[in-house]
Amino acid sequence: MAKAAEPQQRKSKSNSKTWEILCSVRLAVIIIVIMAVSCVLGTVILQQKSPEEYVGRYGAGLAKFFAAIQFTDIFHSYWFSFLLVLLCVNLGCCTVKRWRNKVLMIGFLVTHISIILILIGCVVDLLTGVKGGVNIYEGKSVDYYLTRPDYQKNPLGFEVFCDDFLIEKHPPKYKLITYVKDKDKQKAVSLKVGKKISIPGTNYAATVKELIEDAEVLHEPINVSDEPKNPALYIQLSAKDNVTAEGWLLAKDRNWYNDTQRDLKIDYVWADTDEAHEKLTNAAAKTSTKPTLEIRIDGTDIVKNVPVEKGQKVSIKGTDYTVEIKDFALDYSKRLVALSEQESNNPAVMVEISGPQGVDSRWSFSKYPDYQDKAHKTIYKDVKLKCTVPEDFSDAKNRVRIVQNRSGKQTITYIKDGKVVSTNDWVIGQSYDIADSDLKIRIAKYFPSHSLKKTVGKKTGGHEGHNHGPGEHHGNPAALIEMEGPRGEYAEWVFAHTPPHWYPDNNFAVLYEKSGMEVKDYKSILRVVENGKTMVTKTIEVNDALKYKGFVFYQSSYDPEGERYTGLQVTKNPGIIVVYTGFILLCLGIVFIFYVKPFLRRKLNKGKKIEEYYSEEEMLAEHIE
Amino acid sequence: MDFMLRLTLYVYCAAIVVYIVREVWRANTMRWVAFGVLSSGFILNTILVLTRWAEAHHAPMSDKFESFVFFAWSIALVYLIFELVTIFIVKVHESRIGIIGALQCVLVAWMICSALQADSTIKELPPALQSNWLVTHVICYFLSYSALSMSFSAAIVYLIHRWIFSGKQKDAVAVEPGSQKKKDYSFDKLAYIAVSIGFPFLTIGLITGSIWAKGAWGTYWGWDPKEIWSLISWLVYLTYMHLPLMLPKTNIKKSFRPILLSIILLIAFPIVLFTFMGLHKLPTSADSDHIYAE
Repeated sequence: MAKAAEPQQRKSKSNSKTWEILCSVRLAVIIIVIMAVSCVLGTVILQQKSPEEYVGRYGAGLAKFFAAIQFTDIFHSYWFSFLLVLLCVNLGCCTVKRWRNKVLMIGFLVTHISIILILIGCVVDLLTGVKGGVNIYEGKSVDYYLTRPDYQKNPLGFEVFCDDFLIEKHPPKYKLITYVKDKDKQKAVSLKVGKKISIPGTNYAATVKELIEDAEVLHEPINVSDEPKNPALYIQLSAKDNVTAEGWLLAKDRNWYNDTQRDLKIDYVWADTDEAHEKLTNAAAKTSTKPTLEIRIDGTDIVKNVPVEKGQKVSIKGTDYTVEIKDFALDYSKRLVALSEQESNNPAVMVEISGPQGVDSRWSFSKYPDYQDKAHKTIYKDVKLKCTVPEDFSDAKNRVRIVQNRSGKQTITYIKDGKVVSTNDWVIGQSYDIADSDLKIRIAKYFPSHSLKKTVGKKTGGHEGHNHGPGEHHGNPAALIEMEGPRGEYAEWVFAHTPPHWYPDNNFAVLYEKSGMEVKDYKSILRVVENGKTMVTKTIEVNDALKYKGFVFYQSSYDPEGERYTGLQVTKNPGIIVVYTGFILLCLGIVFIFYVKPFLRRKLNKGKKIEEYYSEEEMLAEHIE
Repeated sequence: MDFMLRLTLYVYCAAIVVYIVREVWRANTMRWVAFGVLSSGFILNTILVLTRWAEAHHAPMSDKFESFVFFAWSIALVYLIFELVTIFIVKVHESRIGIIGALQCVLVAWMICSALQADSTIKELPPALQSNWLVTHVICYFLSYSALSMSFSAAIVYLIHRWIFSGKQKDAVAVEPGSQKKKDYSFDKLAYIAVSIGFPFLTIGLITGSIWAKGAWGTYWGWDPKEIWSLISWLVYLTYMHLPLMLPKTNIKKSFRPILLSIILLIAFPIVLFTFMGLHKLPTSADSDHIYAE
C-alpha cells in the first residue's frame, strides 16, 4: 500500500510544482516585464530593415548578434511568440486556480479571459487572415491583391472597379503680410475691413478699405472724348432675333470679324475725308494678302513659297514631288467665336504630294506645322509644309463694310462676290438686313474715343470650365488696401496670391498671401462586380472602408504624381470578432474591478469590519493595512 | 488668445504658491483659497479649450498646442474632482493632499508654458484624424494621464516622506486618539487610488485606439512606435497592479515594498510622458503613421 502510494505522491508533488509556477503571479510579472523591455528594444533598434543597414548602423559584430537573437524583427520573432503563448497559459492557469464563485470576482475572470481571447484572435488572424494591398487606376479594375510584405499576387474571386478617385481639399486661407524693408520686419495681420494696422516702430500703416471674396479685374469700355481719336462701334449680329455675336470693333485696331459658318466678314473702316469715304464705300472687297504655303524639303536647300489657291499644282524642282493644294479651311474646327474674342483660328491647307511611292495627302495646320495627322500615313517625311495666313484674311463671299468719317457720314455696304450690292446710311440702334441671308446687323453704340477702364469688382457669370463640384468654388479674393507712410496715402487693389505691392518709397510692402489647401479627404468610388453583376458600389474614404465577402478595402494611399490611381489596403480578419469580444470584455471587466467592485463590496458587506470580508490577497492588492 | 493663455499661466503659477502656503499654514480658509485659485485657472483653461474648439471646428486635441492646453485642462479637472471627493465624500478634512495639488499645478503650468512655445495656428485635421474616435480616444488618454500624473506626484511625496522620517514613525500624521476626523490617506495608498482611477481609462484608450486604427488603416495592431509605447506604459502599470500580490512571496522586507512600488510609479509616468510627446526622438519613428502630438 505504502509502496504504491509513494510514487503517486511524488508525481503529484512535482505536478503541483510546475502547476504552482504556471499559476504564479511571479511568472506573470516576469513575462510582463520582459515584454515591456523587448517593446522598448523594438523601438530603439530599427526593425525589419535590410542586413546592410544594420551593419552600417551598428557595426558587423553587433548586427550579427542582433540577427542571431532575432532583435531585427522582435515582434515577429519566435521568442516573442513564445512569451505570448506562455502569458496565455499563465493567465489560463491562474484564472482556473483563483476562481471562487463570487460576484466580486467577475472582473478578475472577465479581464483575464479577455486577454486570452484577444491573443487567440490575433493568432487566428495571423494564420488565416489576409493583409495586402492593391493599386487601381481610375476607370480600371483588379481581380487580385498583393500580399504584404512579399508582394505575391492572390485572386480575390471578384472584380473591384475604381470608378473615380478624388482628393478633396480644404478651402484656402488668406492672410495679409506687411513688410518693412529697412527693419527687415514681417508681420501677419488680420483682414478686417476698416481696421487700421500701424506697424510699430515705423510711420507706416495699412488699412483694408474693401474686401471682395471673389473678385476679378473688369475692363469697362468708356468714351474719353468726342474727338474721333479711337473710333469704335458696338456691333450686334442677329439671326431670327437671336443675337449670335456682339462686341466692339475698333477702326484703328481690330476692325474685322469673321463668321466662318455663315461665310461672312464685317469690316469697320474710318475715312478722314468725304472723298476717302466715297472711295472706300464703292471699292469692291479689299484684296488682302493671300495665305502662302512654304514647302521645304528636309536635307536639301529647296524651299518654295506658293500662294494658297485651290487646285494649284506645283512641281518641286530637283525632286520627283508634285504638290497639289486640294483644300483650304480658314477654321478647321468651324468654331463660332464670340465677336470680342475674335482671333485667327486654326487655318489649314490640305495638300496632295505625288511622288515615286504614290500619293501622300495631309492637312497642314498653320498653328501646328509639325502636327502629324495620325489617321493618315505620312509617306514623304522629308516634305515639310508650313502655311502662313494673314490675321485678317478672309475668303468669305459675303462682306459688310461699315465706313464712317469725320464729317458724320456713315454708310453700311453689302458686298457679295466682290461686287457692291447695296449701300445704306446707318444710324445707331437701327437693324439692317444683310441681303440674301437671314442675318441682321445692328450698330448699338458708337464711342469716338474708345478706351478701357480697369476696375475691380465682384466676379460675375458662371464658372464654366472650372473643374470642381458645386459649392467648391474658391474665389479669387481681392482687398483694397490703403497704405500710409511718409509720402501720404496710397490705395491699391491687391489680389491674393500675387507679388507684393510696394509703397511708392519702396520700403513698405503688403502681400496678400494664400495658404492652406490641405487635404480634406481621399475618396475612391469603388464598385464590386461578380459574375458580370454589380454587387456593391461605395465611396470609400479614410475611416470608412468597403466590406465585401470578408474582404475589407481601406483607402490607404494614392498616386503621388497625378491622382491617376488609388491605393487600397486589403484585409481579411476572420479573428476580428474574437478580438473585439476580448476588447469589450476587457473594458467591461476593468471598469468593474476599479469602479464597480469597491462600491458593490461595501454594499454587500454593510456593517461588517474590513478584516471580515477582505481576503488577504485583496488587502495586498488594494494596499489595505 | 495669447493673452488668455498667459493669464491662465499666471493663475496656475499663483495656485502653486497658494497650495504650498496651504501646506505650511494649515487653516481651513487657506484650503478654500487654494481651491478657488486653481478653480479660476481651470475656468480660464476651459474657456481656452472651448474657444479653440469653436475656432478650429474640430475637437482641440489634434496638434501639439491643442493637446498641451487640453492636457493641462484635464490635469486640473481630475485634481479638482479628487479634492472635492476627499472633502465631501471621503470626508477627510485635515488632508495633506495640498502638496499633491502644488505638484499637479507645477505640471499644469509646465504644460501651458509648452503650449505658449508651440505653434498655435489652426491646422486642418488630416483625413486619418477625422473620426468620432478622436474625442473618445483622446479624452480617455488625457483623463488617464492626469490621474497617473497624480500617482507620480504622490509617489514622489511618499519617497521624500520616507526619506525624511526614515525610522522615526510609520505614519507621519499621528491621529489623536478619539479624534472625530477620519484618518488621512497615506501617500502610497493615495498613489494606488490615483492609478486605480487612471488605469481603466488607459486600457479603454488603448482599446479605442486599436479599434480606430482598424477603421482607418485596416490593422488593429501594427507595431507602430506610438502603439508600442502606449503598450509599454500599460504593461508598467499592469506590473504595478500585480506586484503587491507577488511581493509577500519574496524575501523583500515588508517596509521596503511600498518604496519599490513608488519607484515603479516614478519610472512609469515619465514613460507615459515620453509616449505623449517624446516619440520623435526614436530612430524607428521616422516612418510612423501617427506622431500627431509633435
